[in-house]
Amino acid sequence: MRISTWLGGAALCAVAGSALAEAHMTDTSDARIALSNNYAGNSWRQAMLQSWEDVTGPAVEEGIVAAADAYTTSENQATEQAAQIQNMILQGYDAIVVNAASPTALNGAVKEACDAGIVVVSFDGIVTEPCAWRIAVDFHEMGRQEVEYLASRLPEGGNLLEIRGLAGVFVDDEISAGIHAGIEEFPQFEIAGSVHGDWAQDVAQKAVAGILPSLPEIVGVVTQGGDGYGAAEAIRAAGRDMPIIVLGNRQDEMLWWQQQRDESGYETISLSIAPGVSTLAFWVAQQILAGEEVPKDLTVPFLTVTQDTLDETLANTPEGSVANVEYSLEDAQAVIAEAQGEM
Amino acid sequence: MSALIARPWIWSWLAAALAFALTVSLTGGRGAGELAYAALSFGAFAAIVGMGQMLVITLGPGNVDLSIPATMTLAGTLALKAMGSDPGTAAMGLAIALAVGLGVGLANFALIYLLRLPPIIATLAASLIYQSLAIWSNRGLRIKPPEGLADFSTGRTLAVPNVAWVGLAIAVVVWVVLERSTWGRWLMATGQNMRAARLAGVPVQRVRFATYLAVAVLAGLTGYLLASFSGGAALNMGQEYLLMSIAVVVIGGSSIAGGYSNVPGVWGAALFMFLVVSMLNSYGAPAGLRLVLTGTIIIGIVIAASTRRVRT
Repeated sequence: MRISTWLGGAALCAVAGSALAEAHMTDTSDARIALSNNYAGNSWRQAMLQSWEDVTGPAVEEGIVAAADAYTTSENQATEQAAQIQNMILQGYDAIVVNAASPTALNGAVKEACDAGIVVVSFDGIVTEPCAWRIAVDFHEMGRQEVEYLASRLPEGGNLLEIRGLAGVFVDDEISAGIHAGIEEFPQFEIAGSVHGDWAQDVAQKAVAGILPSLPEIVGVVTQGGDGYGAAEAIRAAGRDMPIIVLGNRQDEMLWWQQQRDESGYETISLSIAPGVSTLAFWVAQQILAGEEVPKDLTVPFLTVTQDTLDETLANTPEGSVANVEYSLEDAQAVIAEAQGEM
Repeated sequence: MSALIARPWIWSWLAAALAFALTVSLTGGRGAGELAYAALSFGAFAAIVGMGQMLVITLGPGNVDLSIPATMTLAGTLALKAMGSDPGTAAMGLAIALAVGLGVGLANFALIYLLRLPPIIATLAASLIYQSLAIWSNRGLRIKPPEGLADFSTGRTLAVPNVAWVGLAIAVVVWVVLERSTWGRWLMATGQNMRAARLAGVPVQRVRFATYLAVAVLAGLTGYLLASFSGGAALNMGQEYLLMSIAVVVIGGSSIAGGYSNVPGVWGAALFMFLVVSMLNSYGAPAGLRLVLTGTIIIGIVIAASTRRVRT
């Protein structure tokens, strides 16, 4: 699936022409870009690394950049990743693309890289160091939209179950804050219970199975992606009526959605972050090296799957993987141009 | 009565019963059956790996298997990949999961015995390799279990979850082996004093070898069951069982210093670990408070169970 099918079409049309003209302001064929990744232990991160390989491989072959090497730390520790970034500085990379273990703990290493003249682009797990670029997802808005969607389906409101992510992680706090902002906006809803699913399906299944017996009737489940199928399994096992579960982008939860739709006309929505955002970060780094003026803060739209696009998305998602979007150079230029327009 | 209180395993069961009662009292009794059923389902996985960990910890100070999560992930991943959702392959999948367990146990003990590495280092380092193998073999793709196997692992017999029956059967076997067989006596003797056991003619290294094999096979089996239960293997599926497997052993009243094990206590602790989280979730405790309370309660039970043992 191409970004153009869901990115604001107008913005794309307006800027595509002018952006293409200035694709290679400075030659980047000697530039070496490194990916510093803090974790590889789930399907989202695996898809992220796969996308990186699929997009940067041809880019290296075509000579757009000289190298695009991916490195992953084994223990998901900020200290380990800081050491990894310091190694990359010594190895003389021109740009470092980083998915950070912590928004603040890597700032020292990132500053060292900037001082050495290296372009640092952070995405997904962003860093707060001002010299780095940030490609962020508006997680707060994602949470709010979940409640907005439920309000459109259930105008009379009711009790909701919230499945949160990993306690203490920035993303979890942001999405949850967005959900609670949504509840304030639509006060007909109330969060009857909240559990932590650690973004893992089996943990979510266990947590939901544990809290369900003490809950009143639930009309909707708000999630953070990756835990919808676990919730559905737990609710089915308890013999309850299936509420509207806001899903993420894993193939198994979307397949479940399709089956439910075919059997009983089940309707819901899926909101998530495409793991291919790593490829957007790659092109942004390439554009900065090419001399493009890129604003420090870029926003990437989240991936929405609706009842209408479900079949198409599912057909394009490998079995057992996650729905994904890989970005091209033109897509990156469109995102950059949009941010430039806001400056 | 006093004989009952003196049993170290009673505390984990009391705690589980209390957590259960507190959760159910919130709804005035509604949902009690549901909660008990969920506790038995999810408790079974913790109980099976917990019994494996208990055997290793019984070997004495320094013995622990930290490769349990990676073994579960590797066994689940390889078994589900081999089965490929095809009907009639459940037995083959099980054989693969158990073979992975055997292989892991063999590798772990080779590191411990031949290279003389402390078990904590050996199993932790080896687990990185097992986890990498799991990632490399399937890159995190989630393959559904065959339908019959999925139905079995999520199904029930006589109102008790099938996985709980499996866990119960394993508990009985482990109890008989520990309490009634020569090998079980050897294991206890090794844990109480390895030097004395060796001088008394116990084949200490053979006992250790068999124990490290047993824990890995139980972890492999749990990985297979959990992956079938939750609709496929995930790369992070074993993560929470690292601390869980050790916690259920300690809460269950086995001695962390080794030499004394307690099978019923492991099951009680496994139920408790599920119920305490459910209870705190039901009362709406925020994540921070929930972790603090869980830790405090665990310390309380361990103190209660261990002081009783000293007195008797």
